[in-house]
Amino acid sequence: MGILNIMIAESTPNLFVDDLETPPLPLTTLAWKRFKRHRMAMLGGVFLILLVLYSFGGSLFVEEKYANFTNPPIRLNTPSWQHPFGTDTVGRDVLARTIYGGQISMIIGILAVIIETSLGILIGALAGYYGGTIDSLLMRFTEAMLNIPEIFLLIVMAKFFGNKIPNLTLLGRTFSGSVVVIIVIIGLTSWMYLARIVRAEFLSIKENDFILAAKATGTSNTEIIIRHILPNSIAPIIVSATLGIANAILSEAYISFLGLGVQPPTATWGNMLDGANNYIESAPWLWFFPGLLILLTVLSINFLGDGLRDAIDPHSRAI
Amino acid sequence: MTRYILHRILQGIPLLFFISIILFVLMMNMGDPIATMGGRTATRPADRERLKRQLGLDKPIVVQYFYWLAGNDWTKIDLDGDGIGETYGERKGVLRGDFGYSLVNRGKPALAVIGERIPNTLILMVAAELVIILGSLLVGVYSALHQYSFTDHFITTLSFIGYSMPIFFIALLSMYIFAVLFKRWGLPYLPTVGMFDPQVGKTAGQVILHMILPVLSISVISLAAYSRYIRSTMLEVMNQDYIRTAKAKGLPRPQIVYIHALKNASLPIVTVIGLDLPLLLGGAVVTERIFAWPGMGRLFLDHVERGDLPVVMGILMLISVAVVVFQILTDIVYAWLDPRIRFG
Amino acid sequence: MCNFKKYSQLISVIVITLILIPACGPKTSASPKVTTFIFTQEFDTLNPLYSNMWFSQITLELWNGWAWNFNEKNEPVPYLVKEMPSIENGGISADGKTITVKLREDLKWSDGIPLTSEDFVFTYDMTISPKNAVATTYPYDQLASLEAPDKYTIVMKFNEPFAPWQATFWKGILPSHILKPVFENEGSIDNAEWNLKPTVGFGPYIFKEWESGSYTRFVANPNYWGPKPKIDEIFIRFVPDDASQINALEAGDGDLGTFIAYSDIPKLEQEGIKIIPAFSGYNEGMFFLISKERGHPAMLDVRVRQAIAMGIDRESIVKNLLLGKTAVPASYWDALPFYNTPPVQNYPYDPEASNKLLDEAGWVDSNNDGVRDKDGVELVLRYGTTTREVRQDTQAVVQQDLAKIGIKVNLLNYDSDVFFASYDKQGPAATGQLDIMQWSDTTNFPDPDYYYWYCDEIPSAENPQGANWQYLCDEELDSLFKLQATQVNPEERQKTYQKINQIFHDNVYWLGLWQDPDMWALGKRLSNYKISGVTPFFSIGEWEFSSGE
Repeated sequence: MGILNIMIAESTPNLFVDDLETPPLPLTTLAWKRFKRHRMAMLGGVFLILLVLYSFGGSLFVEEKYANFTNPPIRLNTPSWQHPFGTDTVGRDVLARTIYGGQISMIIGILAVIIETSLGILIGALAGYYGGTIDSLLMRFTEAMLNIPEIFLLIVMAKFFGNKIPNLTLLGRTFSGSVVVIIVIIGLTSWMYLARIVRAEFLSIKENDFILAAKATGTSNTEIIIRHILPNSIAPIIVSATLGIANAILSEAYISFLGLGVQPPTATWGNMLDGANNYIESAPWLWFFPGLLILLTVLSINFLGDGLRDAIDPHSRAI
Repeated sequence: MTRYILHRILQGIPLLFFISIILFVLMMNMGDPIATMGGRTATRPADRERLKRQLGLDKPIVVQYFYWLAGNDWTKIDLDGDGIGETYGERKGVLRGDFGYSLVNRGKPALAVIGERIPNTLILMVAAELVIILGSLLVGVYSALHQYSFTDHFITTLSFIGYSMPIFFIALLSMYIFAVLFKRWGLPYLPTVGMFDPQVGKTAGQVILHMILPVLSISVISLAAYSRYIRSTMLEVMNQDYIRTAKAKGLPRPQIVYIHALKNASLPIVTVIGLDLPLLLGGAVVTERIFAWPGMGRLFLDHVERGDLPVVMGILMLISVAVVVFQILTDIVYAWLDPRIRFG
Repeated sequence: MCNFKKYSQLISVIVITLILIPACGPKTSASPKVTTFIFTQEFDTLNPLYSNMWFSQITLELWNGWAWNFNEKNEPVPYLVKEMPSIENGGISADGKTITVKLREDLKWSDGIPLTSEDFVFTYDMTISPKNAVATTYPYDQLASLEAPDKYTIVMKFNEPFAPWQATFWKGILPSHILKPVFENEGSIDNAEWNLKPTVGFGPYIFKEWESGSYTRFVANPNYWGPKPKIDEIFIRFVPDDASQINALEAGDGDLGTFIAYSDIPKLEQEGIKIIPAFSGYNEGMFFLISKERGHPAMLDVRVRQAIAMGIDRESIVKNLLLGKTAVPASYWDALPFYNTPPVQNYPYDPEASNKLLDEAGWVDSNNDGVRDKDGVELVLRYGTTTREVRQDTQAVVQQDLAKIGIKVNLLNYDSDVFFASYDKQGPAATGQLDIMQWSDTTNFPDPDYYYWYCDEIPSAENPQGANWQYLCDEELDSLFKLQATQVNPEERQKTYQKINQIFHDNVYWLGLWQDPDMWALGKRLSNYKISGVTPFFSIGEWEFSSGE
């Protein structure tokens, strides 16, 4: 997301100039101090905790069975005391579905980012550390992937991997195989920016004296990468991963909205919106609540990520 | 400069080649274009076998890619199923400007299918781009000049919301408000689908009217992001020495803001706008789907559904070319605007 | 941001006002009668040989047509032919292997050229020519030969009697005077301009223009050989989804809509829009994978399939999801009463009986996990269909019903080009990955013929296009199906179908969920319309505007 970086770079007034004059503090304390001062980030964090509580804590009050319980005679009922968010086209409770849908959406967001980050670090590190042919090949590949708008890639990949993975049973719950597919394709289509960031970090760090020294003492490449360079470039990776979660949740929503994502009855906030076009007028509650939850989650994560950047990676404010 | 442009173009060619291979491999597994062929029942077995042969879908992927790239008019292909080629192929291949015939709109070249929709997408894109640039300049400059004011904070928050807004949500919401609710309240309401009302015809007024909601939906994200960006570059520029000098010299404020500061602040914006084309095009897919805009994005979705490889590949390659070209253009414009940059 | 919003609203208000002013002006009284049809899918091509699309096929009646139509009772009525060939009038030979068709002598194309047997022969030639990649060569590939002894006679010869000829032959005729030169020059008519712009036709209307993604226009054919059509122009507007269709119909922007979702019917009827169900033989139903090698062992046991039939509350699905606007089919041939005589009885909803059957069959919940099992195999079935909303909704309801009788189903959904993909394209149904497959299908309506129950249609590496996705080889059924296809005598054929029906019912080879007639919506402006399930627009020339319009 090109815009993301820009957005984050300048989203808050430059409040921290005087930090430079305060006496040195331990890094984490300093970061926390900076973070606390970022009011919107704090608010985002609080909101995010509430949303996580809603999705994961909600399952203490509502069983998954209930979320998937169909009751056709009460289909498309307007919000009421029994069903505060109304019912869907087969009479399922929308509130319960937003709870379980939230879980899946968030799990997808987090797991996709793990794939994304691993890939991004791997490719960025290889390219940045080794340079030369490896670098230019990997960067051409990165560039090629960046060139095609993400949504097109997602659609094509969703068709490519679609339905090749059977349903999974995990902790007594059955997940549609499409959940795995979505996680994988989001991971596969979003690592490029991170790879570039990591590569740039590696390029600059590998010229440092301590790396040259490590090399001279015969430390293996793998060890240098993992023990020396990576820890020093962790800040931008953390920031990028945090924002990546918002992006992944959005991607899931887009692809599910287009009907190519997670298949029902497994609910996600995205696939609850599938077919919403037909209910804009007649049943706005079908799309309003999941849409709002997506917006709130993405917003909170963006605020949080912004604050994190200011706190742990203040130098990366430039594009 | 010319050498630099040539260099960039030469760099773009292997890139596009690379992209085409990635996409082609993905596309080979997209489903069976002759499974139903848009019908309500599955295609008969004998017809499936014959069509696969006649359309060249039975060939190995490498051969199919090669035919797609370089055509098959120099080789004999087997149409009647006896295993011996007897007719020369008629495809010229992408390298010679032939993207093949659509597997959906049989008898229509893929490029013609796409070409009919490009203007519709362009109208939407250009309008959205205008709204984004003008809107973000307005908002960005305003909040830069009123830094830390209530309005500034308000705009900051609002732009964060705008930036986090999924396109489909703003689209559905705006449809609900401006079409459904306005109609309910007896206010003049906006149309939600299509490009014009067939009862009235394809007049400019109709098209503009139908464009309002889709353009709004596409613009919000970028508008929010750009206005933040413009605000910060403005603030940065306003702190530069030459602006301070100008201020000290007592130049009128509007002149400082609009001529000196804005001019210099707009430099990085050009880059950003040029590089965000993929994002904008991506947004068009969802928007065109929701608002039934007969553009390229909807075409893409419709034809992906039926595994129409020539058209889908055509759209993706055109987009890739557009993105590459825009990157080069951006570089050129940037160099032209900023005299400090000289490409060796 | 807020500035922008304010401005956008202001601009929109101004623009709206500007638009509304001219639109409110008085309309000229001599304006032509234009009716608007709403289609939810756009044609792929208009050449009848190249399209499988229903929307393209039904539009044929406007500007091209079938040799004979079917009326609102789905009975054949002569159109291009003088009379329907029969054994009595000598049109069908006694051995059933020769069919002679007599054409009307006053037929002509819209450019004035007579339409003769030459065009029929040309249509046949083009269909079976290997140089044309047509959608299907059926049923022309069944012909041994086709001859035209004179300008108004065609003789169709078969090696074996071919019973389903009425429902399959001559669905659209090509103009040989236009396309023959194309074929001779280019070696194929695959890319003929006529396919997308068929300006020459022979129906009451002729093609005028097609704007991609928006609309297609048909205007009255001045050279029509039949009675002059009453309406001057038919404007077909393409909309992307059901909601837009419903909006257009409600607002009076559209006079006709199709495939109306059952749930939208009450709303439309409230607006005074007429809903007409047209039976085209489609039934939504479940097909079962009955295979030792690929399927679930339970599905081999007829008692398990009967338990499924009685374990799903199909009446409730029809009543609630489809608002009771259709019915549960008892047989595959519900819409063809002649071939469903005497009608078979439907399985009732009886979960207790289901439980009993499953217990009997040895499927009991021995490990108390809520799912029945036998010999260590859990009764978990894979149930797949396409991504259509009503299908996904049905799946969710069925899953719940079956859970009540101890059968667990995993739900799977596919885009239709994936779902219906062939064995060599790893289609999930074709490769036996689904124990229950759901889709809607019809025969060569109104003929009951079917091909995908044959044993030799079972897919395999050698037969990658096989269509028997049930992997079911029932020798008796196989021979009965093959027998009926050659029975030209309707009474004999009826008796064969009686047996087929009984086999289907007793073995639950297929389980109907709901009859799937095409729901048509007709606005108040139109009158004098009749709609057939086979050739919906067979009487389009007689359609009129209601008086007062």
